Amino acid sequence: MTNCDTALEVLQLSVNYDKTPVLWDLSLNIPIGRIVGIVGPNGAGKSTFLKAALGLIKSISGKIKFFGKPLDAVRQRVGYVPQRESVDWDFPITVRDLVLMGRYGSLGLCRWPRQADLAAVDHYLSLVGLTAYADRQISQLSGGQQQRAFIARALIQEADIYFMDEPFAGVDMATETAIMAILHELKNKGKTVFVVHHDLNTIESYFDWLIMLNMRLIACGPVKEVFNADTLNMTYGKSYALFNEAIKLSHHKTQGNR
Amino acid sequence: MCLASALVGVIVFLKKQSLLGESLTHAAYPGVIIGVACAGLFDIGTEKEITISLLVMLGAFFSAILGLLAINYLVKHFKTSSDSALCFVLSAFFGIGLTIASQIQFTYSSLYKQAQMYLYGQAATMTDIHILIYGILCALILGTIVLFYKEILVISFDRTYATSLNINTRLVDTIIFFLIVLAVVIGIRSVGIVLMSAMLIAPAVTARQYTNKLGWMFALAAFFGAFSGFLGNYLSVVMPSYFPEAKISLPTGPMIVIISSFICLLSLLFAPERGFVLRLIRIACFRYRCICENLLKAIWRLDSDKEISFNEIASHQNAPIWYLKFALNRLVRYGWIERTPIGYRLTTDGSIRAARIVRLHRLWEVYLVDYLGVGAERVHRSAEEMEHIITPELEKQLAMLLKDPTHDPHDQPIPPNTLHAGGA
Repeated sequence: MTNCDTALEVLQLSVNYDKTPVLWDLSLNIPIGRIVGIVGPNGAGKSTFLKAALGLIKSISGKIKFFGKPLDAVRQRVGYVPQRESVDWDFPITVRDLVLMGRYGSLGLCRWPRQADLAAVDHYLSLVGLTAYADRQISQLSGGQQQRAFIARALIQEADIYFMDEPFAGVDMATETAIMAILHELKNKGKTVFVVHHDLNTIESYFDWLIMLNMRLIACGPVKEVFNADTLNMTYGKSYALFNEAIKLSHHKTQGNR
Repeated sequence: MCLASALVGVIVFLKKQSLLGESLTHAAYPGVIIGVACAGLFDIGTEKEITISLLVMLGAFFSAILGLLAINYLVKHFKTSSDSALCFVLSAFFGIGLTIASQIQFTYSSLYKQAQMYLYGQAATMTDIHILIYGILCALILGTIVLFYKEILVISFDRTYATSLNINTRLVDTIIFFLIVLAVVIGIRSVGIVLMSAMLIAPAVTARQYTNKLGWMFALAAFFGAFSGFLGNYLSVVMPSYFPEAKISLPTGPMIVIISSFICLLSLLFAPERGFVLRLIRIACFRYRCICENLLKAIWRLDSDKEISFNEIASHQNAPIWYLKFALNRLVRYGWIERTPIGYRLTTDGSIRAARIVRLHRLWEVYLVDYLGVGAERVHRSAEEMEHIITPELEKQLAMLLKDPTHDPHDQPIPPNTLHAGGA
């Protein structure tokens, strides 16, 4: 299976929160150089999938390989854009500091950022159009600007795979187009981008590969092949209500609740 | 040493674990007492101060770590919420400490006095050796923070992201914990167990008022910490000598804490940007602008060319009469309206400004109704507020989006944009 054209390979991945299963037996292959959308209803495990792939939460079973290698070997080649709500925007740092964080990993312990890193910050800030805001405190940005700052922070890692958790949530149209332009730029450079997405209307125009999740993998493949009424129904449809109900019951039983 | 604890305080504050300092200081107490008890067991006399203080420091260090482990264990395995775990450890350890202390009181009464010193702190009785030991520890804290500055930053900001960067979060956490424990151990000698947590947090809170940059925040907190330490010491020595007959004794620890709390309070009230008083003033300014603009609007609505009496204007406002009069006088002074025998009349400038306000109000109503689907009868209140807020750029965007409408949802005409065309 493993060849050098595969950006991400997932084999039988399962993830639990406490004892509740969130992801069941996921297996998929993603080729290099695609913009991959990840869709599914709330609680379908989209963010969990990202975090498990990045090794941020422990999976109970399964293998994940990037370019045919385990995560630890390619850590610096993987960039992550967390959900915007996941951080405290009142934190006393400027936009510049935020973007600079992207370089902390490659710098290593106890080393201070070098001149080149600071210059890179300026470069990527101008790329996302935030140069004028560089010295503002991060809470003084609008939602779209905050998201762009987050993306600049991932870009500065100069990774080969990017995972973005809902980069389009709560941003204005201008930012959305700007981000899409950046994603296409990345794709042209042969990078792979994973994007957790909510708006079903834009899927066909934004992505060329699609992962449809609802605790299990519903479909994974080129958008044109997998995005249709059947898969949508399976992802968002009622048939899964039963499954969820059973899971909930089993959770209660195993926890000893009534 | 106030400097060191202030630095560590910044980290604690940013990680939103302010209570942790409080718990750990109290958790250190049994260690202090046991340290003293050991001194008693090995028959170390009160004259060997270094040995005693080293023992005490060791004891405090280990019991604080024990407290920390207990907290983590409670949270992880018993699913207690973290603040109840903190409180539990705080009171339990302090209770143990007090029990042992009361035992010691009878067996080694001379040492007991030493132990009590740590409860409320006594910087004044420190000797050169103490200063040397604590100086080294402070330098250790300072050095560690400089070395791990970027890791501390990214971990307190976003742990999961730090992990995704391949930063060893567990290592840095351990380092941070040791820093906290060290700061506590250093601080209790001078400020005392009971008041130590104030020393951790107050400088951090103060510094946060003045800066939005983490580096500056560390520097400022260190400065405020050191400053209040110095001033507290100074006052506790100098003040009693001013009033020799009153026989006031001012213990150092509480003095330091009082000073730093006082600075903190002042900063919360008066700091630029974030200070409470200045915020109030800014709110008042905005309210004043709203009233002025509402007045202009009222006159414009009633009739933009005729004179309007004060009562007519006032009948549509709900601000006190004296305030309205004041605002009207100011408007006259700034040339927006002019006084006439009967009442007031808009100047040309005034009517342009009033028309713009009405325009913004009605544009906003159109936007709410057409784009957000809000019922036409409910949009007025929101527009009342937005008309004072919308900037020229926003206005432009609104006008573009709505294709420059001429009538609002209540079928009132929207005045055209006069800002760039000039003239009404």
